Amino acid sequence: MTKDRQQSVVDGGIGAKNTTSKRHSRRKFLVKAGSAIAAGAFGAVPLRGFAADPINIGALYPTTGSMAQIGVGCVAAAKLAVEMINDAGGIKSLGGAKLNLIISDVQSDTTVTRTETERLITGNRLSAIHGCFASALTLIASEVCERAKVAIITGSSSDQLNKGRTHTFTPFARASQFAKAQLQMSKLVSDQPKVAVIFENTAFGTATSNGLKELAPGEGVEIVMFEPYSAGFTDASPLINKVKASGANALFSVSYLNDLILIVRTVKQVGLNVAINGGSGGFVIPDFYKNVGQLAEGLQGVAHWNHDMDANAEKVNAEYKKRTGEFLFEYAGGLMAQTYMIADALERAASADPQKVRDALSALDVSSGFAAMAPGGKVKFGPDGKNVYGRPVGVQWQNGDLASVFPKDDARAPLMKS
Amino acid sequence: MLETVVQAVINGLLIGGIYALVSIGVTLIFGVVKIVNFAQGEFVMIGMYISFYLASQFGIDPIVSLVVSMPTLFVIGVLIQHFLIRRVLGPNDMPQIFLTFALSLLLLNLALLLFSANYRTVHTSYSDEAFHLGGLYIPEAKLIAFVVAMGLSGALWVFLHTTDLGKAMRAAAQNRDVATLMGINPDRVFCVALGVALALAGAAGSLLMPFYSAYPFVGQVFVLMAFVAVVMGTLGNVIGALIASLLMGVAESLGIQFVGADSGLIVVFALLLLTLAFRPNGLGGGRMR
Repeated sequence: MTKDRQQSVVDGGIGAKNTTSKRHSRRKFLVKAGSAIAAGAFGAVPLRGFAADPINIGALYPTTGSMAQIGVGCVAAAKLAVEMINDAGGIKSLGGAKLNLIISDVQSDTTVTRTETERLITGNRLSAIHGCFASALTLIASEVCERAKVAIITGSSSDQLNKGRTHTFTPFARASQFAKAQLQMSKLVSDQPKVAVIFENTAFGTATSNGLKELAPGEGVEIVMFEPYSAGFTDASPLINKVKASGANALFSVSYLNDLILIVRTVKQVGLNVAINGGSGGFVIPDFYKNVGQLAEGLQGVAHWNHDMDANAEKVNAEYKKRTGEFLFEYAGGLMAQTYMIADALERAASADPQKVRDALSALDVSSGFAAMAPGGKVKFGPDGKNVYGRPVGVQWQNGDLASVFPKDDARAPLMKS
Repeated sequence: MLETVVQAVINGLLIGGIYALVSIGVTLIFGVVKIVNFAQGEFVMIGMYISFYLASQFGIDPIVSLVVSMPTLFVIGVLIQHFLIRRVLGPNDMPQIFLTFALSLLLLNLALLLFSANYRTVHTSYSDEAFHLGGLYIPEAKLIAFVVAMGLSGALWVFLHTTDLGKAMRAAAQNRDVATLMGINPDRVFCVALGVALALAGAAGSLLMPFYSAYPFVGQVFVLMAFVAVVMGTLGNVIGALIASLLMGVAESLGIQFVGADSGLIVVFALLLLTLAFRPNGLGGGRMR
């Protein structure tokens, strides 16, 4: 491997691949000597026997564009995870090889995601990739990874990622599980939950709310209002007026951040006593609290990861907080666990070969350590790349922080009742 | 039932007040300078960011920051008229349309670059409070915004009808050539019109800040309603725009309440089409006042 790598640095660096000829022309000599000096000057030639070659891990996140808010947090977490693994001695079965993170900005755009993923894979020797929390982007990135036969591990919750894939791994709860958890949470508030579901009328809102509607009878939850609205309204008052008239005691809002802020504020103004569950995504990131402030207190949501799950999660949260000033939110926290899962696979594969890493990932079975940071504390992939133990965690805003409150096994704080 | 209707009307009137500030600006520019300002929404956005930064950096109440946002936007308006719009005024409409459209795109992307796409919110003591009257409620922040908006509209009306400059603006709106013959300097009048219109947009931004989030695309939300109101109330007619804005706010609110939460705009546009079918020149009957 070491030899291989060195070869690739020298050859790749200069493009003089054809070295089969025994006759060393003067030009070739000059090229080689030049490249050796250049590489030496940049410190790129590894010293054989002293340090193992770094292992390249690809990271695909939108750090610009509309999804940048979450993407930037993910990159900070990805860097932290790699640093922690490297500081702890790297991959021991590979002679303490260090992880080398190669970050690529997918710009919140599906077309860019495709080209960036291709560029990342063809331009680097990657062992595995993690990335694109957003479902729309992940679906595309994972297709490219499947074709290139490089494993991708993702925090995206789309159920589509588990269909007919061999190199895609999803260690956290699936979208279909989120709706169920949300319905069950409404029973924490009232024995006879009467739920009003309001949702923005495009794909995201419609798909999520239909899931809620289908599962509600099975969970014994009555839906008293089911109403689409157009996102980006100027005034939430008429909508909340309707919720008030419906007599609901719980409100599920499938909304983008701005609408949700207006909805929460209007509920307060109306003086409506209703338990709001904002679901996941934009609702469970620090920015939501920054915008809504005190009013967020007591609001419920669902997440695939939370920083108070176990001692390890609290540890990485503290470190992340030190660096960014904000708590470790679900996507970023889940991503730290994902990095450790890749490290675990590398350790067992004892190889940086992407196919071997993929095989080791599919055989992953952990119940302790940083790689097991997930609700339930266990990760094992089924044949569809889904964590067989995966489940969401119900959360509530308490004192500016997100506390796990549901289900009982994962609850770390009592539910605050308003 | 009655209570629900009354509440819906109150909600509609309150948001209609904000639509009015934006649409009066558009209609004023159209009436006097004869151009359609596609960038009006972006000036609302600038007003919001001015208030946001004054509130977050210096703790100034967004309503108080009107005294900064309005003069700032007045000056921007005068500069835009003097250096940009003045040069494209002519028999051909196209350059004017492209100019204001380009201005809109430029400001939008500049805002994305400078402020990022994040939502910015200001909290004031009255942001989330409301007056309760029986089963009805009136949000404080919106009531303040409505009262100030109506006050500014009234002040504009008085300005247009009692001051020499205001009368000159109306004269230029009615007939530019005759007004010039009467000794009115159109350049000066146009500069003031642009300044006043943008100041109103800035005021709308500041008034929105206590209860709405600022983000680069925020202007687009309000400018759509403003254009509908301007057409409905007769292009160039200030009073017409004001009445149409309030009507639209109410129509939207009633639509959401009784048709469907995603049907607010359907009702608004149906109202527009009906108005145009029966009064093709809008509520103002084609007169510019």
